Amino acid sequence: MAKKVLEVKNLVKSFNGFVAIDDISFSLEEGEILGFLGPNGAGKSTTIYCILGLIEPDEGEIHIFGKDFKNHRSEIMTQVNYASAEFHLPWNLNLWENLYVYANLYEVPDAKKRITELLQIFEMTNWRNVAIRDLSTGIRARASLCKALLNKPKLLLLDEPMASMDPDVVDKGINLLKQIQKEENITILYTSHNMWEIEEIANNVIFINHGKIMARGTPLELTQNVLDVEAGEANLRDVFIHLSRTK
Amino acid sequence: MNFNRVFAIVLRHIFTTMHQLERFFDVIISPVLVLILWGFLSKYVQNIQSQQLAAFLLGGMILWVVFEKVSTDIGVNFMFEIWDRNIINLLASPITFWEFLTGLLTISFIKIIIALISMWLMAGIFYNFQITSLGFGLALLWINLFIFAVSFGIFNVSLVLRYGHSIGPLTWILPFFVQPFAAVFYPVNILPPFFQKIAWVIPISHVFEGMRYTLKFGQFDFNSFWLATLLNMAYMAGSVAFFTFIFKKVLKSGRLVKLI
Repeated sequence: MAKKVLEVKNLVKSFNGFVAIDDISFSLEEGEILGFLGPNGAGKSTTIYCILGLIEPDEGEIHIFGKDFKNHRSEIMTQVNYASAEFHLPWNLNLWENLYVYANLYEVPDAKKRITELLQIFEMTNWRNVAIRDLSTGIRARASLCKALLNKPKLLLLDEPMASMDPDVVDKGINLLKQIQKEENITILYTSHNMWEIEEIANNVIFINHGKIMARGTPLELTQNVLDVEAGEANLRDVFIHLSRTK
Repeated sequence: MNFNRVFAIVLRHIFTTMHQLERFFDVIISPVLVLILWGFLSKYVQNIQSQQLAAFLLGGMILWVVFEKVSTDIGVNFMFEIWDRNIINLLASPITFWEFLTGLLTISFIKIIIALISMWLMAGIFYNFQITSLGFGLALLWINLFIFAVSFGIFNVSLVLRYGHSIGPLTWILPFFVQPFAAVFYPVNILPPFFQKIAWVIPISHVFEGMRYTLKFGQFDFNSFWLATLLNMAYMAGSVAFFTFIFKKVLKSGRLVKLI
């Protein structure tokens, strides 16, 4: 039986009476890529922030690598990483300096070698001395992914990492991510509003709305069950629209 | 406390300073400019009044810079992470908030040492004022100033955490609220009675009183030193408690992730 990397049990969080997460439970097994879907304000990012320890849940438990997150945060976080297109690396530092700072934060052994390796994988060696502010949006997103992979994380939380990127950049990013996920057996929780991204990368999908889990399964299972059709291919776009409009 | 992670924060600010030469303004140019201004004023006062008064002014100014720079720097460096939209990346790493604050404090310490050395050299060369004439006591005065500045910086960061970056400009202004009561350039006893009461509960007013005593009598004022130290312990405990309270509150309210 595969090891459980992340276990979220009965998570509840509300803000001034507004219920953002309403008793959700899910788990991720080693090497699994879970697509975490839902409309804006559904509670995806709040769930991720709870997992990162940046928001304290009202109720529920989070276990990562079998350990209680609340009591072992720093220890656990050395093997976890996070990226979101919403957040940048410091603008005035060049790419290499940024990665070197984060390598120190995560205490990456042989940091310079790991940075060089990642820059090569992501075809970013030419930008190593360029300040983040001078990089295009696509390259910046790749830089964030490099940062997220620095410590060879066992659990990677990606919150719309490729938002506002053109399809070509997304395609390259997804393929690189798939490659490195396979090589390093990373478990990934991935949110996106681009259904193609999720169909490409996720083994399983959870759909949440109003803080509740509405559906879960493989992309194909969701398509068949939610849309009630004998589909041969996943169609998460229609699943998304259907579930978003379900009261 | 993991010092590798503290080092990473220091490294981040060293890199930033290397790329933003204007940050040297804060470290060397601004303290030196202030010193030039007060140096000439002291020289003028020295001609019409006494050498001692000139020393009080110049000594007061040099020590005030320690407090002002350190207390604002901690808050400003924290704001840098918000302006750079990097704060979530940082806090989503294994670093604890205390390690992060220790990193910011270390950077301020390095900067103030550089500023102090520049001012010491300038004051000695151009105005014949030797801050080292305060002897061993200088280090003790300095430690008390630094500790109060750190308490103040932690308080500043707590305010930004609670009210967001729109409150940022307060980071620069807040130390100047203390200045009139801190008796930087004049003795506490010239203040009105009510202001004196406020002055006596501010640790750095005892530091400046101690500085003037030492410059006047050539002896270290242990009374002022111990009073400043005791008050500092209370302020440090207060600011740490305030920060802990605010940090728990922002974790609960979700404000931490809305800082940007």
